[in-house]
Amino acid sequence: MTDAAARALLPAGLRDILPPDAAIEAGAVSKLMGVFESHGYQRVKPPLIEFEESLLGGGGAAMGPHSFRLMDPVSRRMLALRPDMTLQIARIAATRLGHEPRPLRLGYAGQVLRVAGSQLRPERQFGQAGIELIGSDSAQADAEAVRIAAEGLAALGLTGVSVDLTLPTLVPAVTAALGLADAKAQAVRDALDHKDEARLKGLPGAETFRALIKAGGAADAALAKLAAIDLPPLAKVELERLQAVVAAIRAPAPDLELTVDAVENRGFEYHSGVTFTLFAKGASFELGRGGRYRAGDGNGGPGEPAVGVTLFMDTILRIAPAPPAARRIYLAPGTDPAKAGLLRAEGWVTVAALDGADPQDQAKRLGCGHLLINGSIHSL
Amino acid sequence: MSQSADTPMPANANEPLVLALPKGRILEEAMPLVRAAGILPEAEFDDPDSRKLRFATNHAHISIIRVRSFDVATFVAFGAAQLGVAGNDVLMEFDYPELYAPLDLGIGQCRLAVAEPAEMVATDDPRRWSHVTVATKYPTITQRHFARRGVQAECIKLNGAMELAPALGLSRRIVDLVSSGATLKANGLVEVEEIAQITSRLIVNRAALKTRPAELAGWIERFREVARAA
Repeated sequence: MTDAAARALLPAGLRDILPPDAAIEAGAVSKLMGVFESHGYQRVKPPLIEFEESLLGGGGAAMGPHSFRLMDPVSRRMLALRPDMTLQIARIAATRLGHEPRPLRLGYAGQVLRVAGSQLRPERQFGQAGIELIGSDSAQADAEAVRIAAEGLAALGLTGVSVDLTLPTLVPAVTAALGLADAKAQAVRDALDHKDEARLKGLPGAETFRALIKAGGAADAALAKLAAIDLPPLAKVELERLQAVVAAIRAPAPDLELTVDAVENRGFEYHSGVTFTLFAKGASFELGRGGRYRAGDGNGGPGEPAVGVTLFMDTILRIAPAPPAARRIYLAPGTDPAKAGLLRAEGWVTVAALDGADPQDQAKRLGCGHLLINGSIHSL
Repeated sequence: MSQSADTPMPANANEPLVLALPKGRILEEAMPLVRAAGILPEAEFDDPDSRKLRFATNHAHISIIRVRSFDVATFVAFGAAQLGVAGNDVLMEFDYPELYAPLDLGIGQCRLAVAEPAEMVATDDPRRWSHVTVATKYPTITQRHFARRGVQAECIKLNGAMELAPALGLSRRIVDLVSSGATLKANGLVEVEEIAQITSRLIVNRAALKTRPAELAGWIERFREVARAA
């Protein structure tokens, strides 16, 4: 390997984002934040690194295996790099903004780092943008998070977006009512994660779980099928909540594509109620996810009800249509600065000459479609 | 940004659908089900000399690809194919979270098993193992299987002819698919432990099932009916 090649090599899952992608990502983040802010979500900015025990306490414990850690030479305590920002927003809401009136609406955007990507999604560092609505337990709050996320994706020009609503608390309610031991419950979980009916063979409650798998699909039909399944009372309560959330999303946003999957659980490690995942036609991976959890339960108390959604910038930008590139104009030597300023105000990108090289050549070399020379604009 | 926002796709547009099938033994058992479900590949599909990898079908938007069994799972997991047929040996080895296996097609029946030379069985005491060396196509399943009883498995990854490994001193044990046991016997090996029963499943990409629920659930149902009838 040559020296230059060795310097270009980056650790697995990390990459340089180059023009124009870096600018497109920044633009997309600011557009999303604009949508969030217009709905009353105020931006907060937590640090990259925190004390391990506060970041990964309580509900955050599930994120422990995903986190980079390092020793703080100052406090000699263990620090963790954030693998997710929701945990930090929940901490802020419980501590520094604990006295603010509820419901508290906060928005955020930033980079997160994970120990390992998956084979399917190798990125270890990626951008997140999201909102958290803290202090309300209503179905309206769940619906608001779903609708605002969908509105954000629409603002980026994404089409064919659909929201998959899930209930990670439903299956545990059924296994608990059946009195399944941990090993059996885990076997059920593994089978359900792959919707693999064959693996349910011989497990208690197999018929119920099979019916739950089959009840997945477009929201209205799925809810009707779920209602017909004989479920224990606790599971019924969860299901009624899901019905209320679907109704609350539908009322103001009747056209939003909704699906329901009662057995999906993966990725909802710290959630405690209705959760959801955002998909789009043509995207192989999810664009974002969110749901209900307890904010601030790391402090030993029960925490407070919260719902949030996180969008994944890397998967979104892979399918978002690129915004039109700005027109670039090369300014020949001696251009009047005031004229150049006027052009920029009109939305042009100006590239100034630094020496006397042939302006026509320079303009082409530097990717400018236009040239400003002797006060007039020439198209190249 | 404007183009795709202004021209929404009509609701009934047939997006391409790719069905991934494994080459070899399972293909022969799978094709009657595929045909019974109403997907008929072009004539070249049955031509053994054809070098084509992707085949059109009687549905304009559906095509079939023919790849190695491990690659079926990869194509479907990445969303390059929406539907596929794969054994649960492959699914267990990769454990891709983006794959659902909603239907057991009941074909390709065999078992995944540990085998060792017949003369070793008499003297071997599994309770004393701390680590074992195993030749296998399934390093992940093998490691997980032995780890469950506190044994470290060092795997030698082979892509075929595992049965040769013990005789040639590559490893003393193998983990492989066994159907009749004839190959094991011919190589002086004895099956000592079954890891899992294997059958082929209809697999589906997670994002495809979520974004095209009616269409893909329809195909799953169609295959369920023909598999039940078979």
